[in-house]
Amino acid sequence: MATQDPVMNEVGAGVKQASIFDVMLFRLGNIYRNYTLQVILQAILTIWGVITFTFFLIRLMPGNPIDVLVAQILNQEAVSYQEAYARVAASFDFDPDASVVDQYFDYLGGLLRLDLGESLVSPGTKVVDQLLHFLPWTVFSVGMGLLISFTLGILLGILMAYYRNSPLDHILSLIASVLSAVPNFIWALVIIIVFGINLRWFNIGELRGVYSPNLRPGINLEFMLDVLKHAALPIFIYVISTLGTWMLSMKSSTVSVLSEDYVTVAEARGLTARRIATAYVGRNAALPLFTQLMIAIGFVLGGAVVIEEILVYWGVGHYLFYSITTRDYTAMQGVFLVITASVVFANVFADLLYARLDPRVRVEGEG
Amino acid sequence: MASAVPADVPIIHDDHNPLADLWHAVIGFFKVMMNNRAGFIGFIGLVAYFVLTFIAPAFIAFDDEVNLDEVAGPPGSRIQLIVREENADVYTSFESLAGKTVGVVDQTGGPSLIEPWEETLEIEEFNWNSRRTGPGILAGLTALDEGEIDAMLIFSKSVRQFVTNPAEVEQKEAFADLVVSNPTLGPAHLLGTDTQGRDIATHIVHGGRELILVAIGAGLISTLIAVVFGSAAAIFGGVIDKVLTAFTNLILAIPQFPLLVVLAGLLTLNSPILLAMLIGVLSWPTLMRSVRSQVLSLRERDYVEAAVALDLGTRHIMFREILPNMISYIAVNFVFSITAAMYSQIGLVVLGLAPITNYTWGVMLYFGRSRGTMFNPEGASMALAPVVAIALFQVFMIMFARSLEEVFDPRLRRSN
Repeated sequence: MATQDPVMNEVGAGVKQASIFDVMLFRLGNIYRNYTLQVILQAILTIWGVITFTFFLIRLMPGNPIDVLVAQILNQEAVSYQEAYARVAASFDFDPDASVVDQYFDYLGGLLRLDLGESLVSPGTKVVDQLLHFLPWTVFSVGMGLLISFTLGILLGILMAYYRNSPLDHILSLIASVLSAVPNFIWALVIIIVFGINLRWFNIGELRGVYSPNLRPGINLEFMLDVLKHAALPIFIYVISTLGTWMLSMKSSTVSVLSEDYVTVAEARGLTARRIATAYVGRNAALPLFTQLMIAIGFVLGGAVVIEEILVYWGVGHYLFYSITTRDYTAMQGVFLVITASVVFANVFADLLYARLDPRVRVEGEG
Repeated sequence: MASAVPADVPIIHDDHNPLADLWHAVIGFFKVMMNNRAGFIGFIGLVAYFVLTFIAPAFIAFDDEVNLDEVAGPPGSRIQLIVREENADVYTSFESLAGKTVGVVDQTGGPSLIEPWEETLEIEEFNWNSRRTGPGILAGLTALDEGEIDAMLIFSKSVRQFVTNPAEVEQKEAFADLVVSNPTLGPAHLLGTDTQGRDIATHIVHGGRELILVAIGAGLISTLIAVVFGSAAAIFGGVIDKVLTAFTNLILAIPQFPLLVVLAGLLTLNSPILLAMLIGVLSWPTLMRSVRSQVLSLRERDYVEAAVALDLGTRHIMFREILPNMISYIAVNFVFSITAAMYSQIGLVVLGLAPITNYTWGVMLYFGRSRGTMFNPEGASMALAPVVAIALFQVFMIMFARSLEEVFDPRLRRSN
């Protein structure tokens, strides 16, 4: 990527002449080629793209929310079009007299101040406050779920690769195939219907919400256990619905690493099997999975909308669905932006982690 | 990728009879599939699904008759014949009841079941709920108990509720000498009944076609966009490549399902075609990136470079040299994209954001949840049946796709 960059080409030409201007350009090129910066810059550009997209989606689409709301007010009350429009504009927090472009920049400015506007359904409530209320639970449950399934999947994948073609491998492969094939909300429904209602292993009524209503949030054991109890089901769903993919990818990745020369050399050097498995095979085989992790974060966080709705877990997905059913467009816009931003930042994190684990990425990115 | 193509598959097709080639490929496909157990199961499963959802609806009618007593019946529930104890061995069928009086309750499955025997039987119809005699089933049972009628048609769930229910001691004592003489009289509801007393099994048969067609449609659209954009980016390079790649990365970064949910909330999704287009248009980026890198690597192959050197033109290179070598890869990903589309589609329906005009598996699930039968152990079938239908379909699809991958890529076969 970087080699096709115009700045780079100019630097290449500039080295011969070496004027101050070229040195500056070279410095700039260095900054540009810094892997971390590149990743963050890309993330910011992506988020900006999404913001722009949703802004124009809400405003310019035929039958867009603003027109719908104006029509609604006109139907219900005897007010002029201007007044109705001004009221809608006030709740969306934009200046009705300004041009769309000015509104767009105003909106961007508001976002920089972390202002997502007010909820349309409950006036006076800031969308940001609502989000701060819902987001942590989703981050907690999705994060825990992915962490557990990724770790477990890698371990089981290595196991499958070491015992490949054994009955153990066949059974685990079959389980992994089924786990990865069935949609996560289908798992959620099966678990509720079969274990919650027919077998009565747990009481789904008690698991509603993110913590029991009679408890006060605080740092004490009782509250934390209660939070864990409520999060257990969503976490379990995220684990089983992603585990199969990790197992299968890790297995095929490990099998290909096992045939590499450096593993043979390590064996010839008489290293213990355990050391080879952890330092040589496991580490290298797990690398390609980080790219998949990035895609999985977006997918799982996206799927949280259905999962949280089915399991009645009050995270940000539940809030998104609630704002859609109540036609709370400002909230909807805000939640969507935050979900996107979380996915993008999770990707940045995974990218940087990947680069730390695999120096080749950094070098290729810079060279 | 060239090494991935089996030696017996000709790369240059011009000298061959295309039909013979196709036949060759089909035979080869079945040979390898037979050796691949998972793929074989997946293939057979998909064939079964095709028969179930595309052929069976022509022979099995959609049960749309509302029966008030058959609400949320468990699997296997059916109409039974109930008589007084002393007649238990005599009155076991409609034949043996010739000339006798049989009680049915209107607006239940009874009247339609007994219709063919109208000539030979005396039919006493009770009202489902009359102001004078109260609930029809109770009135009928009382009449039977008092000897006014000789037998009664009653739904198996109602038998448990009114006759054998130990919780209602008084009732149990009153009807103590009533027994079921023929427990298998009416046709069984294989998967039970829904909240309106309709047969779930027939709904399963009729509820798959639209979902599968929408998923295939969405898969086709997304695969097409991915192949066109991916190969355009790789072949033309330069600005086109940069713009397309940046655009793809942008779409890829947006979590697809929430976007779909938001769009479904903004637009009124009222047609399956619109739904297929929307899902297809949003789900191509991952495949586009892999197609791009595939074409980039295929472009370096000797035979492609030879074609470039011979100046055979972009169209020839794309459709004659590159595409045939990529087609298996595209086919596998097409199957995967169908499963992805199925996920998004049913997710939307479960949330109530997609069209629910046609009674599909997703809609059954939606009603099973929203009408609460899911939370009733007996009536769980209304939600559980479509859940199993969807889950099995996805499992078969994935098994089939994974094996296709192995069939087309011998490297995978060896490593397993």
